[in-house]
Amino acid sequence: MAARMRLPLQRVFPPLRNQKLVHTEAAAKEPAYPPVVASLTAKSKSARLRQIQEHVAKIRAAPVDEKLSLITRIQRLKFIVYPQTFARNADTWYQHFTKTAYVPGLPEKFAPASTAAPGLDDAAFADVRALVTRVILQEHWHKAKKRPPFTFRRQEMLVGPFLRNLVAELTHSLSTFSPLLRFSSLDISPQVNFYWRRGKRIIPKGHRKGRPEPHRFQIDDQPLSQIRITQQLPQFTPLEASYAAEVPEVPYAPNLMPLFRRQYANHIFTGAKLPDPACYGHTQFHLVPDRYHRNRLARMGQSDQVEVFLRANAMASLFAWTGAQAMYQGFWNFEDVARPFVSQAVISDGHFFSFFCYQLNTVALSVETDAGNPRKNLLWGTESLRLYEGVQDGEVVGLNDDVIRLLVQFLLNQPSS
Amino acid sequence: MPYLQIFLRNSVSSSPLRHSVYQLGNPQLRIFRPNWYLTLVRPGKEQPPDTVQFRIPMEMTKYDIKNYLEKIYNIPVGAVRTRIQFGSNKKTNHLNQKVKMPDYKVAYVQMAQGQTFTFPNIFPEKDQTPAEGSMEEMQNKFMEDEKQRQKLDPRRGGVTEWFGL
Repeated sequence: MAARMRLPLQRVFPPLRNQKLVHTEAAAKEPAYPPVVASLTAKSKSARLRQIQEHVAKIRAAPVDEKLSLITRIQRLKFIVYPQTFARNADTWYQHFTKTAYVPGLPEKFAPASTAAPGLDDAAFADVRALVTRVILQEHWHKAKKRPPFTFRRQEMLVGPFLRNLVAELTHSLSTFSPLLRFSSLDISPQVNFYWRRGKRIIPKGHRKGRPEPHRFQIDDQPLSQIRITQQLPQFTPLEASYAAEVPEVPYAPNLMPLFRRQYANHIFTGAKLPDPACYGHTQFHLVPDRYHRNRLARMGQSDQVEVFLRANAMASLFAWTGAQAMYQGFWNFEDVARPFVSQAVISDGHFFSFFCYQLNTVALSVETDAGNPRKNLLWGTESLRLYEGVQDGEVVGLNDDVIRLLVQFLLNQPSS
Repeated sequence: MPYLQIFLRNSVSSSPLRHSVYQLGNPQLRIFRPNWYLTLVRPGKEQPPDTVQFRIPMEMTKYDIKNYLEKIYNIPVGAVRTRIQFGSNKKTNHLNQKVKMPDYKVAYVQMAQGQTFTFPNIFPEKDQTPAEGSMEEMQNKFMEDEKQRQKLDPRRGGVTEWFGL
């Protein structure tokens, strides 16, 4: 029996039955077990990281309206950033919060050396000039004054209607030159809101002591009026040009500005709801209220804060508007903008006009995404320019043509196609 | 003196007290030789460079601080913010009575015209090395030699002297 079972010294294998399978590769075996990743429910740092990853993936996969609601779902204490603020040196702080570099002067498109008011010959410009004169005289000369306006409501009651009429009439008369303005939407006192995260701190006290927490910010702005358009404005400079710009770094906590925290619903709103076809921004118009009027600041001996206030106002308002426009297109913190979003603003107190242009190059401002992000947002701005000296005997004295030209150029800004 | 006194208390005649008539543009409150003293303190939490922190008497207001600093010390003041710090009432003394720490008012003054201020280091560290040839230096050297003698042989690598041939 043992002899019969003795195996031969050299093992002879039977020949292969299927010769045609000899030179094929073995079928790729599917892994029998799922990939080894960190737990989702454990009380550990890697579990927390995985939860955040899953949440980010969930937001990425969602459509835009769900994206917005997922991003703004959780309410926590956040800093309220007021575009029109009494804080000193607010523009440096706001530059840090919004990662914006300030460039004095306007981009090359609006430089006075370039084509003055393209598409607007002298006759048309004279019409525009007459329109502006008519609006000024209507408000300050022809309009019957029933009773003197209340203190601290003078700007709102006298200059507000003037600017609103000016914007409406100019937009209407210039729509012959710009097909974009014909299909635009002019909002009066719209709400513009934006919510974002930037920077972090370690919680000093409480049951969450020692853990990192991002600084949350919210802007709730109400410009005097704004123009929304159906196509996006062309960029002023390419994205890469912003890499060299410098953003001031403020190493202090935001509450030292002073800036205060509150908790309420996180809003992201451009001025119209998501399905609106006019989802891109063109120009915003802001009114300088009595509290920050240059005469009052001069009386308090703080004339240097006038320009600071205007810059801070433009920065916060335009960042909120362009940021909301980008969010409406589905770009958010972990999906940075693929193309720059551009908007303009005009801030005035009735006599002095300041013009600002903003280009949003990045919306990824939180700690995780900002680490290797070379992009910066850009704000161009002018100093205050006087539109007219005054009104005497039914005539406007000292009307400045350059300001009117700039206004017209701003409103006629459109994509070249 | 540029200002007039508000109340003429020392008038010899028995005429009724005369108050200076207020006219639009006059200062509404005139204080001479104020009995208020500000204390410049080092901020507990770091403040921006244009902010100076003071402890001020409870009765002072923001306008008082602005006028005080501008008129007496010629500091251009941009903005003033104040708060009152409650002194704790929790501590007890050896007789088990509650001990109250005093309340105080703190003012954060932001200076105008781009001026900055950093609180100086009022306790700089002194160089501890004693002078050459002095008693302290000899004593220090003697102590160091004593300590060196107490130490074991470094070649033993921390092993005690209980073992060995």
